[in-house]
Amino acid sequence: MVNEKIKISTRNLNVYYGIKQALFDINLDLFEKKVTALIGPSGCGKSTFIRCLNRMNDVIDICKVEGSIKVDGEEINGKEIDVNVVRERIGMVFQKPNPFPKSIYDNIAYGPRIHGLANNQDDLDRIVENSLKKAALWEEVKDRLNQPGTGLSGGQQQRLCIARAISINPEVILMDEPCSALDPIATAKIEELIDELKKSYTIVIVTHSMSQAARVSQNTGFFHLGKLLEFNLTEKIFKNPDNKMTQDYITGRFG
Amino acid sequence: MTEHIVKSYEGQLQELTNTIIKMGALAESQFSNSMIALLKRDQDLADKVSGKDFLMNEFDIKIENLVINLIALRQPMGIDLRETVSSMRISSELERIGDLSKNIAKRVRHLTFDVPGEIADSFKRASNVVQKNLKDVLDSYSKRTKDTAFRVWNSDLQVDELVNLVMAELLDFMKKNEKNLEISTHLLFAAKHIERIGDHVTNISENVYFLVTGDQIKGTRSKKVDKSVET
Repeated sequence: MVNEKIKISTRNLNVYYGIKQALFDINLDLFEKKVTALIGPSGCGKSTFIRCLNRMNDVIDICKVEGSIKVDGEEINGKEIDVNVVRERIGMVFQKPNPFPKSIYDNIAYGPRIHGLANNQDDLDRIVENSLKKAALWEEVKDRLNQPGTGLSGGQQQRLCIARAISINPEVILMDEPCSALDPIATAKIEELIDELKKSYTIVIVTHSMSQAARVSQNTGFFHLGKLLEFNLTEKIFKNPDNKMTQDYITGRFG
Repeated sequence: MTEHIVKSYEGQLQELTNTIIKMGALAESQFSNSMIALLKRDQDLADKVSGKDFLMNEFDIKIENLVINLIALRQPMGIDLRETVSSMRISSELERIGDLSKNIAKRVRHLTFDVPGEIADSFKRASNVVQKNLKDVLDSYSKRTKDTAFRVWNSDLQVDELVNLVMAELLDFMKKNEKNLEISTHLLFAAKHIERIGDHVTNISENVYFLVTGDQIKGTRSKKVDKSVET
């Protein structure tokens, strides 16, 4: 992990839902153009953590996020910071594919339109095509761009959501269990895509699949009861973790 | 160590460990019996050793199957992964020890007279060290102790020196009378086999060290070689 550029760093990040504290002093560095996997049992705070990174917790009234979150050294946690700008830089893909009830084309074109990224129709066509190509979906949908996105298979819908996330050219992509609703072949396609995307983007993936974390990521963080217990090279985590709790979790010994 | 949530997984790993321990015990007795047979020219015991070698091969196959099943069905991680991988390697090393013991036993038939006392004593000294190392390394496997594994790994030099001493004595013995040539040739092979068994024991110690610590043993052992008897 030495000599890597830090894309996002959190310091003393504490999150509360009402009086319940969900995250405790998280200090975590995410490296640029690397895949970081976050693992841990349900309710350990890993989803809460990545939702902090693009200010998704803002929409929950009782949620309070304290501490520092810096992207390229710039603070993004604070009422005065425009969340729209943050979310333009940090895209997100969810557990269940959630395409807009629109055509495949419009699913991708929506973001670039509202952010004014295209000057004309040709521009927009090019963005749609490039995004779908980057998401490895272009060949499968190029002849039916006007059909509804919801008509695609689950795996295709998830790649459509990834294409939609990258259409506005973000720097970071957050993925919250992106394959948990997909079959093994669709999962393999997403994992191949993640490998490809990490050349251009910093990726953070929350996953319940140990083997997926092992396959796709370079660094892995282990969360437990709202604390980050270990952050290490993925190889190290799965071969010989430093923390006993990590060992117990990855080997299925959690009591 | 905390137990697995899935009990059958725990059971499979336990079976792997138990099989290695049983196989190790058999390797120990095969090697020590082959030495007794050799130094006492005990043909019955030698035949017993040869006759039991198939058991070592069966253990090796059983362990290989257990390991492949674990990898295919459980995808072991962390300590379980190291346990799985090192068990397969240790099994191969033990299987080779079994082969070499059998080979020592097979030479008993070719001994036309008793091994001279002084040479027999040197043989005992060398094989005792290797037998103790084998016992200790199997102990370190079952108790998961890295210190013993490290000690065994570091004692290879002593084995080499003792084997070289046997060989030097055998060379002198050959020079004395050409009638000694045939028996000495077989004994030279036996001596070399003891050294090879010693090497397999140190390989096992490397695997135990890896199993316990997750690291490779570091450092270099100095190897002093007596050029006059280097083979």
